Amino acid sequence: MTETNHEPGMKEYVAIWVGLLCIVGIETFLTSMNLSTHGLLAALLILAFIEAGIALLYFMHLKYEKPNLFWSLVPAVIFVLFMMNHIWPDAYRMVNLRVPIQ
Amino acid sequence: MSESEITLDAGHAAVLEPSPYAVQSKKLTMWLFIISDAVTFGAILFGYAYLRIGTPNWSTPFHFSPNIVNGLIMTFVLLSSSLTMLAADAAAKQGRKSSCLQWLGATVVLGIVFATLHLREWFHMFDEGWSLSKNPLGGSVQFGATFFSITGLHLMHVISGIIALIVIAIGYNTEWLDAGHVETTGLYWHFVDLVWMFVFPLLYLMNVAR
Repeated sequence: MTETNHEPGMKEYVAIWVGLLCIVGIETFLTSMNLSTHGLLAALLILAFIEAGIALLYFMHLKYEKPNLFWSLVPAVIFVLFMMNHIWPDAYRMVNLRVPIQ
Repeated sequence: MSESEITLDAGHAAVLEPSPYAVQSKKLTMWLFIISDAVTFGAILFGYAYLRIGTPNWSTPFHFSPNIVNGLIMTFVLLSSSLTMLAADAAAKQGRKSSCLQWLGATVVLGIVFATLHLREWFHMFDEGWSLSKNPLGGSVQFGATFFSITGLHLMHVISGIIALIVIAIGYNTEWLDAGHVETTGLYWHFVDLVWMFVFPLLYLMNVAR
C-alpha cells in the first residue's frame, strides 16, 4: 500500500473484472472434480478470499487509501472472524449432547 | 475564554486535528458500516458452514443446469455492475455528470436484473416445495433454512443498494449530492458484490448433486 493516489483506469478495472470471472470459472470447475466436502469447502474458501481481497484492494480502492485506514479496518475483521472460527468447533459438542432420536 | 473564542482566535486548523485517514467522514462511516456488515455475514456463513458439514442428511439439490448456470449468470451480472459502478465513480470524480448518470443507470439496471433472476429462482424453488422449513427431497430442512436466509439477506442488500443508487443519481443530477456521495455508495455496492463472492461458492457450488 502506498499513500499515493494513483487509482487504476478502466482498462485495469476490466482486466481485474476478467480475472475475477476466471476465478469464478475455476470454482465452478472444482465442483465437477470428486473432492471431499471438506476439501471442496477449503478450496472454494481460499478462492473466495482471493476474490474478496482483489475486490477490497482495487474495486473498493483500499490499496490507494492511507495505510491507516487498512490497518484500522482489516485486522479487526480478521480477528473477529478468527475468534468465530476458534469457538466454531465447540458447536460440534452440541451435536453429541443432543438426545438421540429413537 | 470560551471554546468558540479560542476557535476564533486560533482558527479551525489549530483546534481541529486533520483526519488520520484523509477521507471524508461519510466515506469513513460507510467503511465502519461495511466492516460491521462483513462480521454479520461472516457469522451467518460460519453458521451455515457448520451446519453444512455437521448435518449427515444434508440435501444437495442443485444441478449444473439450470441452477449453477443461473448462478453463474447472476455472478456475471453482479460483477459487471461493479464495473459500471467504477465507471460512474470515475466520471463523477472528473465532473462528467451525464456520463456518471448513464453508468449509475446501467448499475441500477444490472442490479434489477440480478434481483429478478434471484427471485425467479426462489419462486421456482417454492414451486418445487422448498421453503424455510420444508425439504421436498426428504433430507434435512436446514438447506432451505440457510439458503433462503442467507440469499434473502444478500438480496435485501441488493434491493437497498438499488434504491440508494437511484436516490444518489437523482441527488447528483440536481446537485444536491456530490461525487463523494457517488463514491461512498459505490463502496457499498462493491461490498454487496464481495459478499456474493462467498455466497455463490458456499451456497450454490457446495450444494451441487454429485
